[in-house]
Amino acid sequence: MNAAAPICLMVVEDDDAVRQVLRLSLEDDGYQVVEARGGEEALQLLADADPDVLLVDLMLGGMSGFDCIREVRRARDLPIIVVSARQDTHDVVAGLEAGADDYVTKPFQIKEITARIRALLRRAGPPATLDPRPGAATAPESIVIDAGGREQPLVLDRAGGRVLLGDAEVHLTLTEYRLLLELAESPGQVLSRAQLLEQVWGHDYFGDDRLVDVHVRRLRTKIETDPSEPRLLVTVRGLGYRFDPG
Amino acid sequence: MRWPAPRSLRGRTVLFFGAGSFAVAAILAGSTAVLTRDYLMDQRLESVQRRASVDARVVAARLDTAGAQVDDILAGLNPFGGSAVLVRHHDRWYSSSLDVGPSAIPAQVSALAGDGRPALQVVQTGAGPTAVVAIPMPTVNGQLFELASLQELAGTLRALTVVLLLGTAIAAGAGVLLGLWFSHRLIDPLDRLAAASAEIAGGRLSLRLPATDDRDLEPLVGSFNRMVDALAARIETDARFASDVSHELRTPLTTLVAAVDLLRGRRDGLGAGQQIALDLVSTELDRFRRLLDDLIELARLDAATGTADSPEVDLRRLVAEVLRARGETAFLAAGVQCLVRADKRRLERIVVNLLDNARRHGGGVSGVEVSGREGQIRLAVDDAGPGVPPEERERVFARFATAGARRGSSGGTGLGLAIVRDTAVHLGGTAWCTSSPQGGARFVVRLPEARES
Repeated sequence: MNAAAPICLMVVEDDDAVRQVLRLSLEDDGYQVVEARGGEEALQLLADADPDVLLVDLMLGGMSGFDCIREVRRARDLPIIVVSARQDTHDVVAGLEAGADDYVTKPFQIKEITARIRALLRRAGPPATLDPRPGAATAPESIVIDAGGREQPLVLDRAGGRVLLGDAEVHLTLTEYRLLLELAESPGQVLSRAQLLEQVWGHDYFGDDRLVDVHVRRLRTKIETDPSEPRLLVTVRGLGYRFDPG
Repeated sequence: MRWPAPRSLRGRTVLFFGAGSFAVAAILAGSTAVLTRDYLMDQRLESVQRRASVDARVVAARLDTAGAQVDDILAGLNPFGGSAVLVRHHDRWYSSSLDVGPSAIPAQVSALAGDGRPALQVVQTGAGPTAVVAIPMPTVNGQLFELASLQELAGTLRALTVVLLLGTAIAAGAGVLLGLWFSHRLIDPLDRLAAASAEIAGGRLSLRLPATDDRDLEPLVGSFNRMVDALAARIETDARFASDVSHELRTPLTTLVAAVDLLRGRRDGLGAGQQIALDLVSTELDRFRRLLDDLIELARLDAATGTADSPEVDLRRLVAEVLRARGETAFLAAGVQCLVRADKRRLERIVVNLLDNARRHGGGVSGVEVSGREGQIRLAVDDAGPGVPPEERERVFARFATAGARRGSSGGTGLGLAIVRDTAVHLGGTAWCTSSPQGGARFVVRLPEARES
């Protein structure tokens, strides 16, 4: 890790022992760690600490982890990783729907967390420098997502790492942006959940498909004219997802 | 000989209604036939007797008249259709019909009449049943015999019998139809109950029977719904308990695992004894963690219901990925997709546990096969060990089946195969152990193939 500008993590965890050991372990790996004992404290510290990644436990006393994630999401795009002892469908999906990018279940090994952090930060930087795939340099500066069906065209601006509807920016989280970019770079082609997990989240085949499903759902509410009848991000039953330029 | 009783409620009801209405109709028809026959016969015989008496008076009166010829008198009687009149006068026979002679008169009747007593007998002749009536005429020293055919009456009775038999058959048929309809009405609530039970067993715990205003069914519907309520509550409690235990145990375990991880990073700075101590803690912690995972998984399987919401997963691809991730060299043939409806994590667990089992107890994996046939997907893992003796093949799936000492050295939790079996059953399939053609053990998991929903 870069010693001059250590990456700052905020750990939101109400169990003192887990929080302490996380701090020790992550500092040992070269990260700077800010501790928050609950959701309220995390929101207070957020502006001053300006962390690069947020680690949130879902089961917090006081403000719940879900509410904490939602509140942070209103203001910031930073990657959020849920750390939870619960891996039931309900909790994981609720955490992701609140706005988390990825999740880790307890008990974890520190290297699992640092791998997730690295994967999320890899894509948090400017896409032109951190997208070293062959052909990326010659890729077009912008991709028209949706030309018809609405008053102004929806355009993915690769150079700026953002999506524009006319002149206004459509607010996407970094994961949503990266997912859209993956799909938009292969228009008309079906990408399996496993492929998307690998390319966007850096997971292997055994990653959780629900990560993809929840993020596609979130993305649809932001870029589809009618999210209940998606026209741009189409589900291909049993196979995955396909981007159809409008 | 005992007749086999129908095995179903429906069959018994139909039989009961059919046999019941047949019996009632047969008794009614039988008594009707007997009573009608007796009554009609009595009427007919009485009328024949009356007629004979009248004829006898007429013949006797005329014979008293001087010079009367018996033949002329008989011709004047004009007997009605089918009847014939014979007169014996001074031991000479006279007949109104050329076809009928004295031979038609039974000897008994003739003798009684000769003694001056009237007589009646029904005889069978070539032309059917005939009534023979004898009336003595003492004033003229003669007897009159009247022969009346009962053929018409017999025809009427035959027609009546046919009608009654037909009626009985129709009544029995109607009884069967009524039984069918009735048994349908009777069984219909049971059918609905069975369908609801099957759906609930399949995981639809929110399903309840609709309320009924039928006073006989209400207790059944009520207690069924209360039973499902209790079951759903119990399952939810179990699931929540498993989830709570999971959370409560995982949190301290998280601290331990991370802290030991941290120490392991500093292992080189420790003394030799401390290194051994750290390795022991690390190994045991890992085992504890796996044991907890397995116990929680079993608790979740016990509480889980249904797989209807699960995605489709290609088992062949999943097995290939597991083998690749573990660096196992076992050969898996390429082939068509083998889709099952299941949580990917659960399937992965089945495969990993089977491979672990082969490595720990069977001297390594010697072959892996995934195949699909007739709506079933089959996964077989062969090992290179000595095989499992037949009497042990069921016991190996029990929880903590491996003896404690062996478990300790093998590094397993003793729950791996129990999880394999429970997961397979949860997914609607089975798991069993047999022997491979090479003599090692073969563990087979069979799961239902995913169908278009």
